[in-house]
Amino acid sequence: MDFEPRYTPEQEEFRQEVKAWMKDNMPPGIVHPADPIDLTEEQYQLRREFGRRLGAKGWLWPTASTEYGGGGLDVDHSVVLEEEAEAAGLTIPPFYDSGGRLGGASIVVWGSDEQKKFFLPPIFTGEVRTWQLLSEPEAGSDLANVKSTAVKDGDDYIINGQKVFVGSSLGCDYMWTLTVTDTEAKRHENLGWFMIPSTLPGITVQPMDLLISGGESGAGSGVKNTVFFDNVRVPAFNLIGGHNNGWKVATTHLELEHGTGGKISRNTVVDRLFDYCRSTNRNGQPITKDPDAREKLVEVHIEQEIVRLLQLRNYWMRHSGVTTTYEGPQASYMRKTLGLKMSRHILDILGPAALTFDPKLGAADGHMEAHSRAGIIAIHPGGTTDIQKVIMSRRIGIGREVREKAGALS
Amino acid sequence: MDLALSPEQEMLKTAVRRFVQQEYPKETLLQIASPTEPTPEGPWNRLTQTGWLGILIPTEYGGEGGSFTDAGVLFEELGRGPVPGPHISSAVVAALTLLEGGTEDQKREWLPRMATGEVRMVAAITEAEYGWQSTDVHLTAKQNGNGYRLNGTKAYVYDGEAATHLLCAARSDESNDVGLVIVPADAAGISARGLPGFAWNLSEIAIENVSAEATQVLGGEFAGGWEALERAQQKAIPVLCAYQVGGSQAIYEISVDYSRTRHQFGTPIGRFQRVQDQIINLLNNLDAARWTAYEALWKLDIGREAADSVHLAKAVGSEGYYEACNFAHEVHAGVGSMTEYGLTLHTTASRTLYHYLGDPKFHRRRLADALGL
Repeated sequence: MDFEPRYTPEQEEFRQEVKAWMKDNMPPGIVHPADPIDLTEEQYQLRREFGRRLGAKGWLWPTASTEYGGGGLDVDHSVVLEEEAEAAGLTIPPFYDSGGRLGGASIVVWGSDEQKKFFLPPIFTGEVRTWQLLSEPEAGSDLANVKSTAVKDGDDYIINGQKVFVGSSLGCDYMWTLTVTDTEAKRHENLGWFMIPSTLPGITVQPMDLLISGGESGAGSGVKNTVFFDNVRVPAFNLIGGHNNGWKVATTHLELEHGTGGKISRNTVVDRLFDYCRSTNRNGQPITKDPDAREKLVEVHIEQEIVRLLQLRNYWMRHSGVTTTYEGPQASYMRKTLGLKMSRHILDILGPAALTFDPKLGAADGHMEAHSRAGIIAIHPGGTTDIQKVIMSRRIGIGREVREKAGALS
Repeated sequence: MDLALSPEQEMLKTAVRRFVQQEYPKETLLQIASPTEPTPEGPWNRLTQTGWLGILIPTEYGGEGGSFTDAGVLFEELGRGPVPGPHISSAVVAALTLLEGGTEDQKREWLPRMATGEVRMVAAITEAEYGWQSTDVHLTAKQNGNGYRLNGTKAYVYDGEAATHLLCAARSDESNDVGLVIVPADAAGISARGLPGFAWNLSEIAIENVSAEATQVLGGEFAGGWEALERAQQKAIPVLCAYQVGGSQAIYEISVDYSRTRHQFGTPIGRFQRVQDQIINLLNNLDAARWTAYEALWKLDIGREAADSVHLAKAVGSEGYYEACNFAHEVHAGVGSMTEYGLTLHTTASRTLYHYLGDPKFHRRRLADALGL
């Protein structure tokens, strides 16, 4: 067994190349607001510019195929890129985007050659930012229950309906979505998966008023929107995977969203909490010397370590080709419940200083206040914790003779 | 990064699993656990013949010289039984303590015989005012000519009744240092009694005026003995955690099986989400314990500072096994409470192992120290 990524001399050489390149190409002045909703247009454009530079280099979506504008790199190289971006407080991509990891993955699997050539290069080179439009007022955990419609009309589809919890602040270039293409067909055989330019007439984006959007600092989404489709005419070319085949197309990105990929990065909220408690005095001593606070901090550490190890396991499974079953939804469940438990521990340790970003009384530049809100909100996006348990049960085969298989990844 | 077992470890795992199925089926385990039936000696004798008890003992002292991860694999499979000791207590805890603090003569005298199981040496540390710190040791060693006289009572000694020798923590009357003294379990003045009830292989051992030569003191002196024990525990704990993981793994599997075969309200009970929740909670505890244990074992193998991982593993491992048993009971309801079903073997083990080598509260405090809080 070996729990540590090992770097070959070639990787270390690549790291030096990445470091030098980032030094020259990362736009100066990037800052990280505690709540992504405070990301300014100017800050967003800095990130997009950096994204385009990464894209031109093939480093925005490093493992995507070079045929479609990706980097064609293996996991060993993408790990180095992710680590170097993380060292700068960023992710890859450095802004909220549902195109490369989720929508793009579905297009790679289900798109025609022509569709792949048309849609993928702008995504993988960072020319466009893409949102996913899945939930609807009547379709939350039961995504297949979407009610928005796409009706064939000549060479086009006419789309009507409403999507909720969409995207981010500051707009997008493309939207991908799931709608009913056949009102008579059976469940799961009645849907279409569309890639839609956001500039088409009839599309309205309206920000939702939420406690918080649930994203973590860095590439968080900021706001969520309601998107209305009012007789939006979309060319049939933009239907991916064929008529009534949308559910299968969706399973590809749903599987990815349920956390199978795994990652090996640190939880920055935990780091900020520990730093704050070490460096802040209360009653004449650092918070870390208070027996009650120590107990809670250790609890946070333990829970975080468990999540780190489960994500590490998933990362290893994915990259070494080991078949996964329940592990993706398990890591998602554990990560989300960690976030919720942490918000309680933070409240216990810091008291009401955890509830304000007031510059005088708030803790850790507002990051604790933001997490206090995010803890309860972030357990639902990408499948609620209860849904993760439902998926786990099916994959394990609890009460069933046949274990459900994990969805296709590539 | 590679989280797979090596081919050799996979072979070991398969061999131990087959051995446990063959030698320690449920019927045998129930017979051993029974206070009235005689304990069959065959399975233990055959376990000693495998050489596995020497897994952590270097080859120069007659062992196999395996890695900590190898030991984790072995004891995880024994934990599936759960196969009762004295294996971890002697071949891991006491053997590692001898390696850490014994004189060369002591290592040569004891380790080869511990590898074969001929000597079953058990560390007797805790007393009635229970605790795993040196300040909790009150048993005294009083200078008596060239040797010592030991007086005191050890309590909650795991595998104490099965021991041929005790590695007894004692406080020097002279220097106040806490060291370890090797005494034969049948020496005059020593009497052990098993503790009745829910305790699993725990005993009280009274030590009255027991004589010991200076050569019986670990390392030849009291100073440094306790520190050797602590270093040994740091290495032994992740192996114990793997044993707990094996227990949780076994009851996870029987719980999934039961969810498929037990019907109520006309359907397998596993179709009910309340029942599914119990099994998923069990699995989450199991996986948390598994990966914290094996990461600690890996750190020990590569010689990295492992204190934080060791304390993490025991806190998570002890709670994991305890909780896993509770969730399994929720799945099985009345059936799980029947001794003949076998689940209670684990439930009983999980409670005693919760405390053995330190409970979660103790290790959480140590973890806070290790994190520099």
